[in-house]
Amino acid sequence: MPDTMPEQTLAPGVTITRERELGGDILTVNFGPQHPSTHGVLRLIVDLDGEVIRRVKPVIGYLHTGIEKQMEALRWQQGVVVTDRHDYLSPPINNLAYALAVEQLMGVEAPARAQGLRVIMSELTRIASHLIWLGSTGIELGAMGIFMYCLRDREKILDLNEEISGFRMHTSYIRPGGVTADATPRFLEMLDAFVKEMPGNIQEYENLLTRNPIWIERTQAIGYLSAEDAIRLGATGPMIRGSGVPWDLRKDRPYCGFETYDWEVAVEDAGDCYARYLVRIKEMRESVKILRQALDRLPGGPVNVDDRKILPPPREELDTSMEALIHHFKLFTEGYSPPAGDVYVAVESGRGENGCYIVSDGTHKPRRVKFRAASFVNLQAVEHMALGHMVADMIAIIGTADTVLGDADR
Amino acid sequence: MTALKLTQGVLAHGVIAGAEWVSVPRERIRETLTELKSQGYESYVFMTCVDHLATPTVEKPPERLELVYQLRNMKTHRELRVRVFVPEDDPRAPSAHDIYAPANWDERETWDMFGIRFEGHPDLSRILMPDDWVGHPLRRDFPVGGEPVDFSEDHEVWRTAPPEA
Repeated sequence: MPDTMPEQTLAPGVTITRERELGGDILTVNFGPQHPSTHGVLRLIVDLDGEVIRRVKPVIGYLHTGIEKQMEALRWQQGVVVTDRHDYLSPPINNLAYALAVEQLMGVEAPARAQGLRVIMSELTRIASHLIWLGSTGIELGAMGIFMYCLRDREKILDLNEEISGFRMHTSYIRPGGVTADATPRFLEMLDAFVKEMPGNIQEYENLLTRNPIWIERTQAIGYLSAEDAIRLGATGPMIRGSGVPWDLRKDRPYCGFETYDWEVAVEDAGDCYARYLVRIKEMRESVKILRQALDRLPGGPVNVDDRKILPPPREELDTSMEALIHHFKLFTEGYSPPAGDVYVAVESGRGENGCYIVSDGTHKPRRVKFRAASFVNLQAVEHMALGHMVADMIAIIGTADTVLGDADR
Repeated sequence: MTALKLTQGVLAHGVIAGAEWVSVPRERIRETLTELKSQGYESYVFMTCVDHLATPTVEKPPERLELVYQLRNMKTHRELRVRVFVPEDDPRAPSAHDIYAPANWDERETWDMFGIRFEGHPDLSRILMPDDWVGHPLRRDFPVGGEPVDFSEDHEVWRTAPPEA
């Protein structure tokens, strides 16, 4: 038998070198892209010394759908539908970033009731996104039961989405100028019931995991990220708050009146996977608090700006007003044209800073729309967190980074 | 403009939709970013490119390609946008990956999508498109649609589609 076995080529760029296996040479393995724990289609090239990770190279792009290019071919109001689809676990928050950017460029502000409904939808989405994260990361780390509880409660949020917008996932609910529809009385009833029962449900997840010895063993002291490194690597969301930096865009650069609600930023100092888990649990509790307040003081009034250049007139006006008919025709054939310029608006999604940078050249279609995806940036910090850990810990580290590959690849 | 204390090399500056911006020449990107980082803009939000091909705006941009760096001061919560214009016939820019770590992937993406070559980047390869892709899709002269769909029932049909598809 030869001393060195020939290199085995598996895919372009990936080789498994099996030379002197017992001597402890570096072994390059391919992780993904179809691995069940990669939250989408993520491929990692991992160098292993024994079982210890020495290098991680994420390879992304498997879910690239050219969303930014598509946006350039659509009119401003049509683009909302596409924003739903990049971070597919938090569509209303993506809508919100785009809507706020277009509104800021045009100098309009949505009315108070629309702001309240936007807060409600964005907090519901945050809870839904954290529930998916908790359930799937639980399964990956061996806690099978938690998934059922999380999906049970996420189902209620999807029902709420359906009640208010007609769609369960890709709601396209928030649009420049306001929201597509007012909340129905049934929606408010369902939301009230949801807000009442959710604290008990969160306690249930905590009972299953927070002091579970296996969960603690697999997450505590794993994937450490210091506060300096979190800032240096541009991490946002639970990644940076799990490292003890109280940075939350809802507090630090408030939008939609988040500064008027009474809530706390969830921060943990430990910087490991367990701290990121605690941050997300606490964030769900805070979101429920915000939902309660938003529901109690939801103002009345219109849910759309009264500007016929941006949003169509009500149906009944079309029968009586020639001007309304013209506005309707102009809006659905040409659309509106924000003034030339560029604007960047960032909102806090379940994953971190979800920003939208838009450039207008004064026409009815965007010149450029860029989504600043939290997953794309947070994924770059994975290598730093994983170095020196065992290969099995990779699952916990990718899991608690909570990357959505549709978001990273756009 | 109190936040901005750049010593030299600012071509233009202003405020648009409530956001501050400065424009610097291409050869001064690294000096500007280093200086801004030491002034407290320690958080890098994103970097991207805008293609101004045949723009209908009244005020024409000086060059076709524009790099945009968005920086943030996490203490004062201020943001600053740094613009750099890159000529179409010489699409190169110095890399800033060692000043701001997250610029690494953003520069790869900008190379992939706009074909701007970042000098000094450790691994300037395509990040979102396949490695053997031809062209830079987010340029305005790259057509939309007509991509052959691999692994679909129409795969064979697409392969024989007319070149203008």
